[in-house]
Amino acid sequence: MAYGLINADQIGTSVANTSLGAGNASLMKNRIINGAMVIDQRNAGASVTPTATNTYTLDRWQAQLSVSSKYSVQQNAGSVTPPAGFTNYLGVTSLAATSVGSTDYYAIRQQIEGFNIADLGWGTANAKTVTLSFQVYSSLTGTFGGYLNNASDAYAYPFTYSISVANTWTSISITIAGPTSGTWNTTSGQGIKVGFGLGVGSTYSGTAGSWSANNYLSATGATSVVGTNGATFYITGVQLEVGSSATGFEYRQYGQELALCQRYYEYATGTIQGTDAPSGGYCRTIWFFKVPKRTSPTVTAISGSNGTVGTTTVDFSLIYIQSSSSYFNTGSTAVAEL
Amino acid sequence: MYKLTPLYNGNQLNVIRLLDNAYIPFDPDNTDYQEYLKWLKAGNTPEAAS
Repeated sequence: MAYGLINADQIGTSVANTSLGAGNASLMKNRIINGAMVIDQRNAGASVTPTATNTYTLDRWQAQLSVSSKYSVQQNAGSVTPPAGFTNYLGVTSLAATSVGSTDYYAIRQQIEGFNIADLGWGTANAKTVTLSFQVYSSLTGTFGGYLNNASDAYAYPFTYSISVANTWTSISITIAGPTSGTWNTTSGQGIKVGFGLGVGSTYSGTAGSWSANNYLSATGATSVVGTNGATFYITGVQLEVGSSATGFEYRQYGQELALCQRYYEYATGTIQGTDAPSGGYCRTIWFFKVPKRTSPTVTAISGSNGTVGTTTVDFSLIYIQSSSSYFNTGSTAVAEL
Repeated sequence: MYKLTPLYNGNQLNVIRLLDNAYIPFDPDNTDYQEYLKWLKAGNTPEAAS
């Protein structure tokens, strides 16, 4: 019986001269999560104006700021056409013409968990070279800045890139020799911080293209987005990979990307239902998380709270529900961010 | 501002962040707990459990 022809060397041919997980292969090469800006559990596409530094916007992406409410962040802000191959981007809009003082800073960043960069060997003689690539679009032109930094904000690499045409998607690729010094977390804490400056003062700006024991958030002389009222800065396709050249963006299935995000933040729709409790007593129910968390998460009720939280682990939270109610929350969150 | 939760089996499991009614577990890797420890170190005291 004929079953058809099997091309036995098809896989070998398609990934010749590559190593899975590094180089040109497309299997989890991107250390950035939600680099295509698809997941937005907190705001579901709504605009947010951060008032405190390190506020999370789209999943995994934080707003850094020294003064509140100077810019907004929204998935697909301005509704421009994303670059080819993408459907979403993270959009920043400046809300004022903000003067950036020497100690001021405004940036968007992602903190990569140490487990996910452990193979890079950073801080050793065998530190691997990485390449950061992304697509960027701005109403401004000029030299822009960004940074890589370690967990303690004590070993940084400022970088620059150029946007020469306004309101046009531009592909950027920056190759960075791995640092042989500095302390780099390789477990569940903050591994590498990757940020894009929106206006950073001289205290937190350094010479582009070299590592130093400083807390830098951008490169000296970089363009200030927050300095122009209404200026826009859009970014997507962010990828950090091993190697000295950028390869194609690693597309993940939506469910994969969502699960990767849910290691750090989970939103539970609906209520967490308990059983009838005895008069004056309480019942207990368990909220099992969709994805085990990085650490025991902070549990919050967005609206309504008819119970209290007992034991919380990376896998579940034990909820005590009062006898007067049979449910706990609507829209609960479990947060285990870095 | 924070408020302690009642003890469970004699153990202090969480502290409530009053700003958003969040239950923060006493886990040293939880960044909200780390912020709580900084707040304590600054000389502050949480409200007692009720």
